Amino acid sequence: MLSYNFNWSIIWTEPYGQWMLQGIWVTVRLGFICWFIALALGIIIGTFRVTPFRPLRIFGAVYTEVFRDIPLLVQLFFWYFAAPSILPKSIEMWLYRGLPDSEFWIVVVGLSIYTSSRIAEHIRAGMQSISQDQYYAALSTGFTHFQTYRFIIIPYAVRIVMPPLTAECLTVFKNTALAMTVGVLETTFMSQQIEAYTFQGIEATTAASLVYMGITLAVVFLMGLVEKRLAVPGLITRSGGR
Amino acid sequence: MKRLLYVVVAGILLLCFTPGIYAGALEDIEKKGEFIVGVRDGAIPFGFFDANNQHVGFSVDMAKELHKGLEAKLGKPIKLTLKTINPKTRIPLVANRTLNMVAGSSTHTIAREETVDFSITVFLTGTQLLAKKEKGFKSYKDMSGKRVGAAQGSTNEKAIRDLNTKGKIDPPAEIVVYQEHTQGMLALQKDIIDAYCTDGILLAGLKAKAPNPDEYELVGELITYDPYAYIVPEDDSNFRDFVNIELINIIKDGRYYKLYEKWFGPGGVVPYPMTQEAETLMKLQAWP
Repeated sequence: MLSYNFNWSIIWTEPYGQWMLQGIWVTVRLGFICWFIALALGIIIGTFRVTPFRPLRIFGAVYTEVFRDIPLLVQLFFWYFAAPSILPKSIEMWLYRGLPDSEFWIVVVGLSIYTSSRIAEHIRAGMQSISQDQYYAALSTGFTHFQTYRFIIIPYAVRIVMPPLTAECLTVFKNTALAMTVGVLETTFMSQQIEAYTFQGIEATTAASLVYMGITLAVVFLMGLVEKRLAVPGLITRSGGR
Repeated sequence: MKRLLYVVVAGILLLCFTPGIYAGALEDIEKKGEFIVGVRDGAIPFGFFDANNQHVGFSVDMAKELHKGLEAKLGKPIKLTLKTINPKTRIPLVANRTLNMVAGSSTHTIAREETVDFSITVFLTGTQLLAKKEKGFKSYKDMSGKRVGAAQGSTNEKAIRDLNTKGKIDPPAEIVVYQEHTQGMLALQKDIIDAYCTDGILLAGLKAKAPNPDEYELVGELITYDPYAYIVPEDDSNFRDFVNIELINIIKDGRYYKLYEKWFGPGGVVPYPMTQEAETLMKLQAWP
């Protein structure tokens, strides 16, 4: 059925092992940076969508819909090929040439904005599940709107939507694979490079798959620890006890 | 029940890991009634999409001629299916028999001979660079410290990396890797890279199809020797013989020169007169 010569050692022999390690480092860096930026942006935009102020709500809605409804690959191409043309020529040239690793940072922008629009929706869902009583109680004890969101609503909402946020974190790491199309030398790119040099496609793709599984399982474990650490006893309960 | 499960799993694993007894591409084509050929998308003028979104090109036309020969040999109508491939996927897809043949712009190298086989040479070219005229580059040595684009998995990418590691370009050029020539050309247009590196004839094609062709020029000497051939599956003498003999017939009865005129002639998509070497090669390859 298969006329294929397996050679698993290519994954760790030099220079292919070195390539894989470099790729893994880029993936981990890209994922982490995008995740934290997306989380911050997502919380802000999600809050915009539920405030009583109409302009903020409209901005939030437009932002979410635009970046949620366009495929990520199209967005990455937009940020890499099209968007810098809007900037003045000198800034555009600095972006492409002067900035070291410009492909990496352009993908950070694209992937963070895409993920932040999805996180915004999760945050909005979390906030809408908090009963209005919390909000009125906070206002009646003298909090301003901003303080209510900052100290009461957002911490509560984030704890509610921890499981979907974990899923979004995994998605960010998996989406970093698309960065290879604009020249970022991450794990998937390196596995394809190994395949191009050795023609051992099965070993290369298996290696990449194991790397991603390892990263995502580590993320699940870490987020589980974070969830336990941040849990407020008795805050999130199913009605009817237990 | 558990016993049955073990037996089934063992059976599947056994099937997967035993070396295959493969019948041969000709038998495969006859059985399926389909001739599956991989052709390129961004390799002008060997395989590309024209203004009417038709898949056309020199290699596409050659594939159609081979298809006619195939129908004559097997004595029955065969369907010709064209599948789009890129420099990275073309060899794996022939190696695992998904495609019967790749008719594009693939270089015949010794390294690739380990995984696939090649037909006789159909075109001669080499690695070159394309850059904007205003930059004033004269040779590959001018690439030191500059950004050079290349397609992942191509011989050109390896060539530029070799120049870097061997110290021929010092300080080394920064290599930006794209997936297809169309992306690389877009990056060159937008000044994201200083030069794009691929085979000379493909660069001539990219330049011809650019919005303002006069902005660009081919830079420097040929860095490598790239003879183009069509990729056929490994260890399949019958099919390779058929492809080679058919190509020789196409050369002998003049169809090759007509197609060359159509695509590379003065009125063609990429004017590129046939060099003396290429003419000699075609004549000498046509075994009696």
